[in-house]
Amino acid sequence: MHAASPAASRNASPAAPGAGDADGGGARRLEVARALAELLPSDCLLSREEELRPYECDGLTAYRQQPLLVALPRTEAQVCAVVRTCHALGVPLVARGAGTGLSGGAMPHGAGVLLSLARFDRILHIDPLARTARVQPGVRNLAVSEAAASFGLYYAPDPSSQLACTIGGNVAENSGGVHCLKYGLTVHNVLGVRGCTVAGEIIELGGAALDAPGLDLLAITLGSEGLLLILTEVLLKLIPRPERAQVVMASFDDVGKAGEGVAAIIAAGIIPAGLEMMDRQATAAVEPFVKAGYDLSAAAILLAESDGTADEVAEEVAALESVLRAAGATAISVSHSEAERLRFWSGRKNAFPAAGRLSPDYYCMDGTIPRKALGAVLRAIEAMERKYGLKCLNVFHAGDGNLHPLILFDANKEGEWERAELFGIEILELCVRLGGTITGEHGVGVEKLNPMCVQFSPAERAAFFAVKAAFDPPGLLNPGKAIPTLARCAEYGRQHIRRGELPHPELPRF
Amino acid sequence: MNLASDVLAALRTAVMEAHRTRTPLRLCGAGTKDFYGEGREGAPLDLTGYRGVVGYEPSELVLTARCGTPLSEIEALLTAERQFLAFEPPPLGGDPTIGGAIAAGLSGPRRAHAGAARDYVLGAVLLGIDGEVLRFGGQVMKNVAGFDVSRLLCGSLGILGPILEVSLKVMPLPREEQTLRFELSEAEALAAFNRWAGQPLPVSASAWWAGAAYLRLSGTAPALRAARTRLGGENLDPDAAATWWRELRSQRHGMFGAVRNLWRLSVPSASAPLALDGARLIEWGGALRWCATDLPAAEVRNIATAAGGTALHWRGGTAGSRFHPLSAAVLAIHRRLKERFDPHGIFNQGRLVAGL
Amino acid sequence: METRLAAAFQGTAHGAAAEAILRACVHCGFCNATCPTYRLLGDELDGPRGRIYQIKQVLEGAPATPVTQLHLDRCLTCRNCETTCPSGVEYGRLLDIGRAVVDAQVRRPATTRALHFLLREGLSRRRLFGGALRLGRAFRWVLPATLRATLRPARPASAWPRRSHARKVLLLNSCTQGALAPSIDAATARVLDAIGVEALIDPRSGCCGAIRHHLGDPRGALEDARRNIDAWWPRLESDAVEAIVLNASGCAALVRDYGHLLAQDPAYAAKARRVSAAARDLGEFLAPEQAALSRRTRALPAQRVALHKPCTQQHALRCADQTEELLRKLGAELLPVQEAHMCCGSAGTYSLLQGELSRSLRARKLESLRAAKPDLILSANIGCITHLAAASDIPVWHWIEWVDRALAGTTA
Repeated sequence: MHAASPAASRNASPAAPGAGDADGGGARRLEVARALAELLPSDCLLSREEELRPYECDGLTAYRQQPLLVALPRTEAQVCAVVRTCHALGVPLVARGAGTGLSGGAMPHGAGVLLSLARFDRILHIDPLARTARVQPGVRNLAVSEAAASFGLYYAPDPSSQLACTIGGNVAENSGGVHCLKYGLTVHNVLGVRGCTVAGEIIELGGAALDAPGLDLLAITLGSEGLLLILTEVLLKLIPRPERAQVVMASFDDVGKAGEGVAAIIAAGIIPAGLEMMDRQATAAVEPFVKAGYDLSAAAILLAESDGTADEVAEEVAALESVLRAAGATAISVSHSEAERLRFWSGRKNAFPAAGRLSPDYYCMDGTIPRKALGAVLRAIEAMERKYGLKCLNVFHAGDGNLHPLILFDANKEGEWERAELFGIEILELCVRLGGTITGEHGVGVEKLNPMCVQFSPAERAAFFAVKAAFDPPGLLNPGKAIPTLARCAEYGRQHIRRGELPHPELPRF
Repeated sequence: MNLASDVLAALRTAVMEAHRTRTPLRLCGAGTKDFYGEGREGAPLDLTGYRGVVGYEPSELVLTARCGTPLSEIEALLTAERQFLAFEPPPLGGDPTIGGAIAAGLSGPRRAHAGAARDYVLGAVLLGIDGEVLRFGGQVMKNVAGFDVSRLLCGSLGILGPILEVSLKVMPLPREEQTLRFELSEAEALAAFNRWAGQPLPVSASAWWAGAAYLRLSGTAPALRAARTRLGGENLDPDAAATWWRELRSQRHGMFGAVRNLWRLSVPSASAPLALDGARLIEWGGALRWCATDLPAAEVRNIATAAGGTALHWRGGTAGSRFHPLSAAVLAIHRRLKERFDPHGIFNQGRLVAGL
Repeated sequence: METRLAAAFQGTAHGAAAEAILRACVHCGFCNATCPTYRLLGDELDGPRGRIYQIKQVLEGAPATPVTQLHLDRCLTCRNCETTCPSGVEYGRLLDIGRAVVDAQVRRPATTRALHFLLREGLSRRRLFGGALRLGRAFRWVLPATLRATLRPARPASAWPRRSHARKVLLLNSCTQGALAPSIDAATARVLDAIGVEALIDPRSGCCGAIRHHLGDPRGALEDARRNIDAWWPRLESDAVEAIVLNASGCAALVRDYGHLLAQDPAYAAKARRVSAAARDLGEFLAPEQAALSRRTRALPAQRVALHKPCTQQHALRCADQTEELLRKLGAELLPVQEAHMCCGSAGTYSLLQGELSRSLRARKLESLRAAKPDLILSANIGCITHLAAASDIPVWHWIEWVDRALAGTTA
């Protein structure tokens, strides 16, 4: 299906002149390094090969590109100065937080500076009465909730990597998490951002007041994958901790039934705080590590969380139990303590890296489909496992149809990565066909540029470039990510045709 | 179906023609928000004909409708399935189209607790200046493919183009609702609203008017019971409560009566009472403050800015001076967006920002 | 992760072991979240994921440089990352291999080598260290401030118990603890005596080997291990002692590892395993005796206590909770400590070799410990105790000293 050569698939950004090699890139590196050395202390600028290598990828190691330089500023003034200088010299800039992203969004540009915001790790102010937290972009997601806990508040979006991922990264990808079904995505929980435009100018979008005049530029910044602004501060909304939370764990002997169970819950008018599914292979991977007591014989397990007052939770848990039983659950258990609740969730939250225990490498996909199509997708994936000869575990944000198939492979074995990639693309294109999208929360990055050609028309992609040009006229912020060029899509389309598959005009275009 | 595609074809032709002849267009829905915005110039382009609910899946919590569909039609459909639009779009003196509601991006009493209009937009279809039909977002909440243009269109007042179709997340209606009334001064009410918002209470709306604070609770019976016990206050009769919130949402409340100048200030909810004379009404837990004041516009804006917010001259301002001014850098981005989406100023020129 | 070992490492024991560990790493980055040096420095190169990557680069044939060496040197080996890692990466083992490989390629400057030599030889020999310490204490007023704080006179050791019991355990003949803080071993012996256990120290045993192990002298560390095994074996083999109880978690961690370290030595492999199996952290050993200790408690010394759990106890031994639980049951009011997983910066000789980072970590740790205004700070490792005490106005004791006072009825 995907005829691009393996080497190209690993090095997805256009090869930059002299990137990585000692001499050709040397002159440019020296020039930019000299300019930046005037703005940054020596421990804030990395230029040696052995220093640049560990920055060549984020959480998606299949895509690697050594940057020209790495800058690690400590202050907003330094950030602006670096951006201004890069703007003047025409040097691309890629921002990076914790580097835990799964779509290669923080993969460096070979001729560019990798701008790490990891040192921006201070929580600047928590206002318990106004329920806001003003934080630097390098603050870890979990750290916000930890700091707000003493006020009885927390920050709701909780991606599985929340221990390590940064708020800046969450904003870039409009991250979700287990609790986004009830409490929203990052876009619903960010009140404002402050950041540096490509010209080095500081702007603020949104704020503590709920309305803002003009176009909703804050909304378009969220999920913009580092292409529009470099953030220096984010204003977050905090919400009250519920009095009680309980998790209902239900086993199903058939994945289709589990999918129907999910639909039944929503149809019953219940919006659980979290609604997740793991298939048998996923459960088997995590159970030895977390010892949560997962039912290893179930074809799929559902985790549904209810939160609120004690009475509310009791009523909702009873309702969930009855709906799930009616949907064919073979076993149901309910958490009876906070520790138990966290244990029930720990497996789901650690599912991705725990896959590392089963296989040297895994490829984590991220697509969304209407809930009702869950069963169909899972069955299709089972067939693809046989087609590509690779195992795939599945964890889902079942409540909003966001699936994370984890394709297991061994990069050391000839051809396995290539097969994994093809497997992944087939899943994503299936998602689009079923009325969904190629990425629910991990972002397009570098990884899903080709499927973007399937999901959007040339005119729609042109509109995206228009937005990009409005914020970043010279196109220096994270170039080559998120939105594929016409040329790239033309090439990808030709490959489709060469294989005898014409692009279907009747495909619903989303 | 045929009718809709004919209407669409006509719209596309009209837009392409207007673009070709550089004729500015005035995008028209039901006209309920004609008063809202900076200016209304151009030849009318009637979007009400492009109507109809395209898809509604209660178990998927998504409804998709063409722009000309009246809000009442959508709400009737949703109510029948015990669902609703949680951002409570305000019907201001009529039955707005859903396209107009989203283009204006206004939200009702539930906004502070449930979210704004743009939080419920899952996808939107835009009619581009070349007559292209552009689809952004989709029908699923978890969707980060491409930039979030559909949310950008919410509140854009048509300056980037007409919204042809919109997909919205719908929510189950709360099982029960109840409103409590407290005799509190403005300052006391603001303190209380913010305190309560930090506690796990099932609050869905709050307002203050003439020495009384109103708190709407929505949720399951046990949640409401627990909240009532904890908060006290006077339990309003359900009809009276429904009327109160309905009048607030549709702005038939006395506050919105015949006044010469009506200001709408958006400030941080915990801001102290603002130094404004004239009748005052507070909504959104303190984040929305209405004021019927004759103070000069500059002064009202300064007060809003000092509190960390902005001021909108809802009624009484002159064209080109209603909205709070934008900073230079933000204005520059607006200009570039407008230039790319609508280079010849065809769509609602000057409606959102003077000159754009 | 994909790993392609360079020819030089293929077929070697180091290469094979490293490759297996590298394959387990999926580069998720969770480990960075709890790494003290990553939190301080904010640089991927100074976090476990980046260190793993740098080691991988070297094993794949990239030349090791002084820069690589510096970033590996900066690792505290607290192994917080191992506790956090969901993929089961044995970071500690990989770091040992990586350091050995890098040190073989990159020669340190002469002054650094001299310092390493002095530390290896000076710290690991009990009598030498003891003598130097006495001298240092006598002349501390002319020494730089940083050393002066460490050279405060030690708390006096209480009397060593004289009773004999059927139950016996071996204590370590520590290299530094005996001189730095003689009160700790004495208190240990007294508490054990109170519950009918006799504490024995074999004079032929000595440094557990941690100093040499972490200062790039793995052979020397093995010699230390063998010497200790030889000293302990007779009593262990005849079941004269029921355990080897270690009251310094850093030492306990290493002794627990003897089995792995000497696995390739046919003469010692089995004995080393037996010794490792018999090794107990003091908290682990006393936890089941809590009821007996409670009965004998006469008065509680300072009650408001902040407990610092050493990294070795949390991540290598994974038994820190037992000490905490024991103290709580004995009546101590353990105050909440934020960032309990962060290293205090002592990390063996790290405080001497990476002074700046060590001091930053210490300051941060003391801030967390002091936040709830404790009367006393307790810990379970001589390194942490000495390091924290040097900068703390609140007294820092070994927790066994608190228990000893509780049994004796003397208040702080």
